[in-house]
Amino acid sequence: MITKQLIDQIEGEASIYFEMKKDKVDFATIAFPHFRGMESILKAKPALDALVITPRVCGICGHAHLMASVRAIESAYANANKSVHLSAKAENIRELTLVLEMIQNHFKWIYLVIMPELAKLTNSKRTLTPLKGAYAASIATKALALFAGQWPHSSYMLPGGVTCDVTHLERIKAQGYIDELIAFFQKESFGIDLETFLSYTSCGELATLNSDIGCIEKELIQMGMHQKGFAHDRYISMGEHRFTTKAKVSQTRHSSIDDKYVTTENAFCPSATSFAKNALYKDSYYETGPLARAMASNISMIKNIHRRYKDSAYSRVIARIYETAQLLDHAKTLVSNLSLDDDSLSTPLPIEEISSHGVGIVEAPRGPLMHRISIRQGLIQEYEIITPTQWNIGSSSYQNPTPAQKAMTGARSKEEALFIFRSFDVCSVCTTH
Amino acid sequence: MHYESDELKPKLLWIQGVTCNGNTHSFFNLSYLPQLLAKYEIIYHPSLEGTYSFEDISKCVGGCDVLIFEGSFDPLMKRNDVLVSTVLLHFSKSAKYVIALGSCASFGGMLKACAPERNSGLIFNESTLQGPLISMQDKIINLSGCPIHPEWLGYTLSMIANDQRVHTDELHRPLELYSHLAHHGCARNEYFEWKVDAKAFGLKEGCLFYVQGCRGPMTHAICNKVLWNEVSSKTRSGTPCFGCTEPDFPRTHLFQTKTNMSIPEDVPLGVPKRSYLTLSGIAKTFHIKRLEEKLFDNKTTD
Repeated sequence: MITKQLIDQIEGEASIYFEMKKDKVDFATIAFPHFRGMESILKAKPALDALVITPRVCGICGHAHLMASVRAIESAYANANKSVHLSAKAENIRELTLVLEMIQNHFKWIYLVIMPELAKLTNSKRTLTPLKGAYAASIATKALALFAGQWPHSSYMLPGGVTCDVTHLERIKAQGYIDELIAFFQKESFGIDLETFLSYTSCGELATLNSDIGCIEKELIQMGMHQKGFAHDRYISMGEHRFTTKAKVSQTRHSSIDDKYVTTENAFCPSATSFAKNALYKDSYYETGPLARAMASNISMIKNIHRRYKDSAYSRVIARIYETAQLLDHAKTLVSNLSLDDDSLSTPLPIEEISSHGVGIVEAPRGPLMHRISIRQGLIQEYEIITPTQWNIGSSSYQNPTPAQKAMTGARSKEEALFIFRSFDVCSVCTTH
Repeated sequence: MHYESDELKPKLLWIQGVTCNGNTHSFFNLSYLPQLLAKYEIIYHPSLEGTYSFEDISKCVGGCDVLIFEGSFDPLMKRNDVLVSTVLLHFSKSAKYVIALGSCASFGGMLKACAPERNSGLIFNESTLQGPLISMQDKIINLSGCPIHPEWLGYTLSMIANDQRVHTDELHRPLELYSHLAHHGCARNEYFEWKVDAKAFGLKEGCLFYVQGCRGPMTHAICNKVLWNEVSSKTRSGTPCFGCTEPDFPRTHLFQTKTNMSIPEDVPLGVPKRSYLTLSGIAKTFHIKRLEEKLFDNKTTD
């Protein structure tokens, strides 16, 4: 018998259709019922308008969309042999604001999703503090807005750079917010200082923490999450940044990638209409996000966890928490070393002179976000968006399950399966853009 | 109202139409979020714990005091297999106020384009009076903006909790929030006064109105008075205002000013075109050196 479960609080809605066998999840298909058609909205629009439209795909990771969009347009310039110059300053500011958006996302996920869901699963009576996540996120977005003008829905990246012409006043203020955020994380989340946490190489050390993160770690072990939620042990990280490595990893074997092998297919969900499309690399499914990035970048703490617990739900959750610390450290370095000597933007040729196509890829909070654009005399002919949740939460057949389907198989209850589902950090609005 | 005990707190319900969740996430930036939420009982919210699940809410039993609707209204859209319009109509009956949150819920907005023939705001389809709650328009407060500024919703919910009246304009937007223009408080105002345009994007000097598409002088919004994330705004970071609080958002060619013979097609709100042209013609002849140079060079501060 197939039973339906409505899922919300995942940036929108999804339904999971469970097939249980001997009180275990035998198979699950996933449907995303809402479709907006952002790609068709973009058709025939002036190419630069994409920088205002695509951030509105998603309220929580719109900044990643902005950056994928501007990279796609810059790649179209390059393919037309009219390469756009980006100053080191513009590159650094873009990376800083992208990282700050990831940090706000991870804080919200820790406090608004993972801690309440674990409390439900363990029947814990501990006090819930979801607004800690909102508070921390609001500090990250203050630092972000000093450069981008606002968050969400900024459009401050243009081909050739960034629109802001910041001075040391803004830089110093941003540094202050990042320090405040690190202090919050040390006091409220970790219970130890950032440097010590980042020097850990084994998850054994996490168990000693008397803090929110320590509580998450203990409850994950209590629920046996280190022994379940396994996907394919295949990872892909595609965005080029200084905080991660572009690679695909199968178990621990690294290989290089070419974005031309990324394709999509319609999701398989016989019980309902789903507007989602699964993303594949050379016809295979890959897990994306913090665990994938850590595997691609050989982060010793996460490699250690992976040796013990593979790609379990535990590994997935801890990888995202660890990445939060790593990104805070990276943001601090970026803002401290930000040189303001370069130009913010070097004006490229008018977009009306460009007839070309391009690809823009960034690492968004949940993994690679890819925008493909084709431009004719400055107008958009085709636009394609492939989001991280399309990689993680695809829906396919019993014989060839996607990462989330495989991870939920074998769960001893629907509740357990749903927690495993959420361990991927699901974004519904991005999936069916 | 003046609610004191938990039982008497006004019931707040937050539901969504066709949305990106941008208003939800913008609202989370509010500095006094915990204090504000403590004034309400949240019966359902898409990202926060509420008294009920959406499955309960979609049964359409009971009522609420304040209903927030985020997203464009699509008459065919279902959540949990129930038409969103059924849920909206049921709860809006008991609600004392219905807040259309964001430009999508107010006018159709960005996501009207998903199904332009049927999507709209709650009582406006762009600027035409049309929508599912037209029969109860007295209780509708439109908070347009893409997304809303957290303090706009903070203000509205605080006023309601204190039983203070929110006065609105003809588009049902609170006067205190939508009487200013985005231009007010813009750090580039002096360049606007003397008609000195920005030479390019990426500069702190120059006005973005003449070439770069800025809609600040035509847009009702308080963005340069109540700053975004308490620190900045689009124009302060060199991005033109796109007019996201107005019924015609989104327009096209958003980074470019539409001109006729190099004169902006749209002139500042309420200013006769002829007067504007006379004034700008004179101002442009002045060539004020101080305004045509860089304010300072970052390099000199190192």
